[in-house]
Order: sequence, then C-alpha cells, then structure tokens
Amino acid sequence: MPEYDFKISKEEVLRYLGVKGRIEENINNLIDETIEEIKKIIRFNFTYRIFKIRVKKNKVALENCELDFHGNSINHHLRYSDKCALFAATLGSEVDRKINYYEKLDMTKALIFDACATAAIEEGCDFVEEEIRKIALKEDREITFRFSPGYGDLSLDIQSEFLQLLDGYKNLGLTVSSHSILIPRKSVTAIIGFIPKDKKTGKKSCINCNKYNSCGFRKIGGICEY
Amino acid sequence: MNIREFIGNKILIFDGAMGTMLQSMGLKAGQIPELLNIEDKDKIVNIHKKYIEAGANIITTNTFGANELKLRDTDYTPEEIIESAVENAKTAAQGKEIFIALDIGPIGELLEPMGTLAFEEAYEIFKKQIIQGVKCGVDLILIETMTDLYEAKAAVLAAKENSDLPVFCTMSFQQDRRTFTGCTALSMVMTLQGLGVDVLGVNCSLGPIELQPIVDEILKYASIPVMVQPNAGLPQVVNGETVYKITPEEFGKIAKTMMEKGVSIFGGCCGTDDNFIREVVKAVENIKLNKLNNKPICGVCTPSKAVIIDGVKVIGERINPTGKKLFKEALRNKDMDYIFKEAISQVEAGADILDVNVGLPEINEEEVLSEVVKNLQSIIDIPLQLDSNNAKAIERALRAYNGTAIVNSVNGDDKSLDTILPLVKKYGALVVGLTLDESGIPSKAEDRYKVAMKIVNRALKYGIHKENIIIDCLTLTASAQQEDLMETLKALTMVKEKLKVKTTLGVSNVSFGLPNRELLNRTFLTMALGSGLDLPIINPLDKAMMDAINGFKVLNNEDRDAKEYIKVYGNKEESIKLNKNEHIDLKEAVIKGLKKEAANMTRKLLKEKSGMEIMDEYLIPALDIVGEKYEKGIIFLPQLMQSAETVKTAFEIIKENMALENKKVMNKGKILIATVKGDIHDIGKNIVKTLLQNYGYSVIDLGKDVPKEKIVEEVKRNNIKLVGLSALMTTTVKSMEETIKALRENNLNCKVMVGGAVLNEDYAAMIKADFYAKDAKESVEIAKKVFKS
Repeated sequence: MPEYDFKISKEEVLRYLGVKGRIEENINNLIDETIEEIKKIIRFNFTYRIFKIRVKKNKVALENCELDFHGNSINHHLRYSDKCALFAATLGSEVDRKINYYEKLDMTKALIFDACATAAIEEGCDFVEEEIRKIALKEDREITFRFSPGYGDLSLDIQSEFLQLLDGYKNLGLTVSSHSILIPRKSVTAIIGFIPKDKKTGKKSCINCNKYNSCGFRKIGGICEY
Repeated sequence: MNIREFIGNKILIFDGAMGTMLQSMGLKAGQIPELLNIEDKDKIVNIHKKYIEAGANIITTNTFGANELKLRDTDYTPEEIIESAVENAKTAAQGKEIFIALDIGPIGELLEPMGTLAFEEAYEIFKKQIIQGVKCGVDLILIETMTDLYEAKAAVLAAKENSDLPVFCTMSFQQDRRTFTGCTALSMVMTLQGLGVDVLGVNCSLGPIELQPIVDEILKYASIPVMVQPNAGLPQVVNGETVYKITPEEFGKIAKTMMEKGVSIFGGCCGTDDNFIREVVKAVENIKLNKLNNKPICGVCTPSKAVIIDGVKVIGERINPTGKKLFKEALRNKDMDYIFKEAISQVEAGADILDVNVGLPEINEEEVLSEVVKNLQSIIDIPLQLDSNNAKAIERALRAYNGTAIVNSVNGDDKSLDTILPLVKKYGALVVGLTLDESGIPSKAEDRYKVAMKIVNRALKYGIHKENIIIDCLTLTASAQQEDLMETLKALTMVKEKLKVKTTLGVSNVSFGLPNRELLNRTFLTMALGSGLDLPIINPLDKAMMDAINGFKVLNNEDRDAKEYIKVYGNKEESIKLNKNEHIDLKEAVIKGLKKEAANMTRKLLKEKSGMEIMDEYLIPALDIVGEKYEKGIIFLPQLMQSAETVKTAFEIIKENMALENKKVMNKGKILIATVKGDIHDIGKNIVKTLLQNYGYSVIDLGKDVPKEKIVEEVKRNNIKLVGLSALMTTTVKSMEETIKALRENNLNCKVMVGGAVLNEDYAAMIKADFYAKDAKESVEIAKKVFKS
C-alpha cells in the first residue's frame, strides 16, 4: 500500500454535505473529529496502467488488450490522445463498515463520515493523477481530467472488464458487483488521456448529467466531482 | 501414493505462477487464462512440465478463475474448463509421482454484508468447481488468494461437504498484516483450523521478505501444517507496469529460512517461474521438517478481532428478550435497529463477546437467529455467543457466522450432546456445557462436576479440543436455594482445576427476588472470579459489575502494571460543565439538535403530559420549523439530521414509557422502505427513515439489496399502503422498475415513492412510480398525502 498522508479539507467536506455559510459549533466539531477518525482507518491503495490507444470512429481501442471503450463522450475525451492511463483507487472496506456502523448509531455522524470519505477518495485520486501527470511530463505531454465509467454515455457496465485489466481484486481488493457497483464503496476507476501540451480538452462539464436541473452542488455554486 | 501421508510429514513443493508464465508467452491483458486449457492445451501442459522438471511435487490446475461468474461471458462452463485443466495437468504428470491440486481462487465479487453476493450463492459456485474437480480425479483442493474470511469459509465448507480430499487454504495479506477486508492472521488460523482444513497459509500480494512477519505470526498459533507461496518480491509499478524484483536465488534462501522455522509446504505466486521453484528445491534439499507443536488456541474471533481467552473476558447478556417487552416487539417486527442499539451500547461499555438469544415461542428461531447474527456482524466486530438449544437454529447461525463463535449451550443429556456437539466440531466453535441433565440441576458440587466430566468426555470423543469447551456450573438464586449457592462456586473450582477447561456463569440470577440486587450481583461476581470464573455473562452497562472485574484483573495480576485500570480510573476528575442550555424548552432542544437535553426534558415532560401531547406540542412543531429552514436553505442536511436524531431520541423515551404503561404506541401509518436489488447505498434511505419515524410513521426497513419478491411478500404480509424505494445508480434503477412492476402485477393496493441520486421527476414517471421524492423532507409530505386520503 502506498504511503500517503491524507489532509481532507474541511471546505470540501462541507461542500459534499451541501452546507453553505455558517454552521453550528457542535457540527463543526463533529466534522473535525470525523476527519481525524477517518484518517486512521483509511487503507488507501491504487493501481494504474498505461495503454497505447487508437481512437476510431465510435470507439477507443486499447492496444494489446481485450477492452474497447464505446461512446461519444469517451471518444471526445480522448480525441487528442494516443495513450491513456487507466487507474483504480480505493479507501478500503473499513470505511464502508464504519459508515454502516454510524448509520445505526447516529445518522448525522454517518452523513459527515460519508462526506469525509468522499473528500478523501477525491484527494487520493488527485494524488494518483499527479503521479500520472509526472509520467506524461517526462514525455513532454499534459493529461486530461479523469473520466470515469458512467460519465456521459460511457457505460458503467465496463467496470468489470476495466478492473480485470488492472487486476483490481489482487492489487487493491477492489471488486465490482453484478450491478456494476464498485465495492468497497469509496473507490474510483477512471481514464486519463495523455495529450500534447498545446491541446486543451476542457473541464468536466455538468451539462450531460441527468441531475443537471436538480443538483444540490450547482445550487450552491459548485460541482460534485463525481 | 496418498498425499495425506505426506502432509505434515514431508516437505512438499508447489509450482510457481501460471499467469506469469502465460504473460511471458504473450497472454494479453484482460484475457481469461483459463480458456487456454481448451484453446491452447500444449502451452498449459508445457508450463506444468517445466515446474515438474524444476522439482515441484504438486502442480496446480489452471483453474484459478474457473467459476461461473468469471466465465459468464465465455463459451465455456466451469465444468468444461476444469475437465481440460485436470487433463492437462495429468498429461504433464504422466508417469511421475506428482500430486494435482484443484486450484480455486476468489469468485471476484464481494460477499454480503460488504458486497451483494450471498454466502450460499458463493457456496454453490464453489461446490460446482469442487464436484467437477473430484470427478476428474485431482488429489487435493487448493483454495487460495482469499482476502475475505467469509468467502474462504464458503469455499472450505463446499470442499469439505462435497469431497474427501485434503483441503489447503491460503489467504493474502498486506504489509499491515491484514487482508484487504481486514482479516488478521490469527483470525484466519482460528477459523480455518476450526473448519478442519488440512493445511493453511499465505500466498500472493507480498514478496517473501515482507511475508516473514505474517508467517511468523501464523507459525506461533497454527497447530496444522503451514504453506507459503510468496510473490517474486513486492510488486512495484514502474511506468504503469507491475514488476517483481527478487531473484530466484534470494527466493530459495528465504524458503529455506521459513522451512527451518516450521513451514512445511512452499511454492511461488505472481512473478515466479520454474527458475524460482528450482532454487527452492535446491535450497531445502537437506532440510529436516520442523514440525509445529503449538497447542490449539483457546479463543473466539471475527475476521478483524480475535479474543484469546487467557483471563477474564466479559460476555454481554443484553441481547435476550426474556422479560423485555420492547425487545420482544422488535423481534416480532424484525426491527434490527433495537438489537443494534443493544449491541453497540454493550460493545462501548467494554463487552468482549456478545451473547445472542432470540428465543421467542412465536418467532421462527432458525431464521431469525442467523439473520440477527449476519446483521450484527455487519456493524460490530466483536465475537458472538449463539444462545439457543434448537440444533437447527444453531447450525444455521454457525454457518452464517464469520469467524469462530461460541455455542451456548449443551447439557449432560445425551440427546443434547449428540445433536449439538457434532455441529460444534464441524464449524470449529466453542461450546458451553451446562452442568444439568434430564434429572435437573444436581445440588451438590460433586454431582455437577460429574455432569461436567461427562460433557467434556463426550466433546473429546467428538474430536473437540479441551480448549473449545467451557463449563457453566449454573448460578442459583439466593432467595430460593441459598444453601446450594456455594456449591456452584465449589463445582466451578473443581471443573477448572481437574478438568482444565474454561468456565462461565450467568451472574445476575443470584439476586432474583431480593432487594439491592446490585450488591448481591457484585459480591457474587467477585467471589466467582476468585473461584476461577473466566467468562462472566453480565450486563456490561452495569458499572458496578465492570468495576469489580477491572479491580479483579489488577489483583489477579492479569492487568499487568494496572495499565487498563489506570486508563479507566486514572483521570476521574471530571470537570463539572456549566450547562448553558438550561433554560431552553424541548422545542428549542430539537431545533438545536441537543440529544441529551432533549432526552432529559422528555422524561420530565412525561410526568405531566402524554406521549401524544409531547409529539404534537413540541416535537412535530420543532421539526416543521427545522424543515422549513432546510427548504429555505438556511440550514442544511447535517443540521436537519441532527434535529431528526434528537426527535428520535425523545421518541424512543416516549415509546418506552408507553410500553411500560401498556399503552399502544402511536402510529400514523405503516411505511415499507428498501434499497432495491443490486444497490447497496443505504444512507439516503436511512435519512428518509429517520424523518418518517420522527413524524410518527412506523417504518419497516428491509435494508439494502432487497429482491423484489421480498418486497412484494412483506407488502402483502403487512398490508402496506406506502412503499419507498431507493436506488443510486443507473444500473439499479432497473431493479426499481422491476420492483414496481412486480407490486402492480400482484395487484397490491399500495403507492410507491422513489428517490435516489440518478432519479428525477421524469424518470420516476417512466418507471411508473406514484411519487418522486427529491429529498427526505419531501417523503414526509408524500406520506402525509397518502395517509390523509
């Protein structure tokens, strides 16, 4: 398991909780406590592999392996890339268990714990992304944002093959259920394209999301980063 | 030649990796290696041959992932793959003294409660593989690379129940000495040994150097042969590719060191090839087998927590409906929350083990005991004692239990012994023996001792170790049988000294019918501890009892240097906090989310007002204010929840009070909620539940990953008018749609509200829900609407 000390930003936690503005002292303290508590039980782990790719008309083919990505969104995402990194990261199963535990004991705490976990896995992904960027920089290239199965029209159903490619079970203890849900829950899989430095692929946009109109994050001026 | 003659008597060498060899021969990433058994036989046969030439005694069939889930999208069945795989191994081994191991790896999906795969489903998957392996003529079964003890248990049971072959089982650990799912080496040893595997050990994930401390720990506890199959070093990712960095020579050297310490079976995992095995064979050539001679462990465990019974350990008694009205009602309604609360509070108070008793004449104990065990294990990690005398209920619960449990109890009656002891043996449990028989509880210590002796001897006859036997000499009540009371303690000492087994006692019976029960309980407990009691069954929330135990542990030289004692009592100068919330009322306490204050105020108010009045005059109006603030964006979900939890606390006190006064608990309507099949996101549903309960609705919560059949059945059974369904993923909205369809097809006259991250108004209409609840607050509005009409 990699060595990485989580910071877990309180601003992020508040954002995932949908909180804007002043909060009561007791909730504030509860968040501080929970951040410290979760740091102790996270077993952060990640793995990634870099593949050469060919972007074709309506799919992206990974070289030397059995998986293709289908859909307009992933095509668009990787339109300047001839290489991409597939990565998977997880906080481990103890986090799930703790959230489950607090759901029985105190829902407020469970909610906060869940938000801290989301902030943590995103922070972990940033760390992995940085590592991948370093590899790209060595080749004098930049990287795209991380694009996960389920975004746009890239089907969630590829999770299982995706993980098989990364040997997610052996490397991280990461599995996918028959309904394509990653377990442990606080885990992410994503695709990052290597792109020439002068190209821009833009930021992740919310417009394709089916919660666009009702999204709580947008209401308070943020994005969910899922 | 029979492999059983070799196990534990001779050094055995396994082969190395299959995948590594295949990759070096051009296996593509993501390709399923098991298909090559049929599509490229020669390649597989050649790999086996290379390992045999290198000197391996056991070769492993290329069937690691040959299970029906992993082969789902291929043209082959597990049976076809296994048949060719065994044939390939046999071809390679022809004419030589080589054993063939049927390789069984993890299914690849996580079992419940963490995942969605049911234990029995996993069992059936493994069973198929094992039956076919046996049919094809393998010599042994190798269950390997397990990270979930529960899955390992399903595989071992499948192997033991469907073959007579030796079973080898290994798990994979990380550098922090736990598996990915949190299982420790000690819990693995206890559980697998208990289930009767022939060999246990570790493989994969780490190199031989990093595995050393884990292997040492296993060697400290295991009393059966131990095997190790390390990777060729710690896997390192270099430029996005996994590489291993240990040389075959180094690998051989460490193999030798481990063998000298007591490992008797060695092989290789990821990154190893025939060169590694050749070096191992060379290195261990002249080594004499170092047999382990550890005594069986005396302890219980869950995957992440082992309790070694080497001193006084507290068994919490509160999960027991006897004399508890609300508990009985909760059991009848399958209301797990009540049981969870009892469990959590005992764990927090310091219980080491929890006794679980759900015996009520009107419930199906077989079903409920195993359900409660599963549910408890999904949230707490301390070991359980299964309290029942129904053999069927015990067996089902033992099967469902993850780890090593205690069975409470058998008695000196032959029928009890001969039905329950075989189960205790099969599942590797501990057992409590009560010193009574068909003629009752003997009054004299000598006679109780005789019954204990009978129990111990019978257990030994069934192959149960002494370490797994606990004797209960039975506490009598001082008010009724005062003259026999000391006989209990006398018998206890005799049992402890002569039979050399552990002892337990339910203590609080002693004071029944007398005033100041606490005093008698504590005095008797202290006396019993002095007489050699190991496992007091008490209420850990009773501070006086816990104090007595903490004190005893210091005086008995168990709590060395009084470390624990000082931790508990060292800083007892509690500052008296000024209560600045003295002048607020219940309504304000709810709005501010002050649980403790709200609880006190509710208790006080109940002296003047009825529960219903408190609800209507304080709790609901407060909730409405909080709800409105939430709608307007003045407060947010955490504050809303905090208020809701505060109401819940107040509500529970009201409920207790009403139960005491034999009043019917108020109920504005029954609502059934569930997270649909395939989905495991529970938090949104639980928020909804809390709010609905706050408003006085009675909520039947079926939990997560609930099949539509179960929802239909419960809607029918409880005559439900409103169903709330939750799904968080696009992939599980389908299950939601199917559930609604099933409800309609069964002509059930109920409304359905749906909610979850990916849903919206249109989507909800499309799947034919009656209501879309955009948040928890809205579900309350919907409920009001439905129950008004």
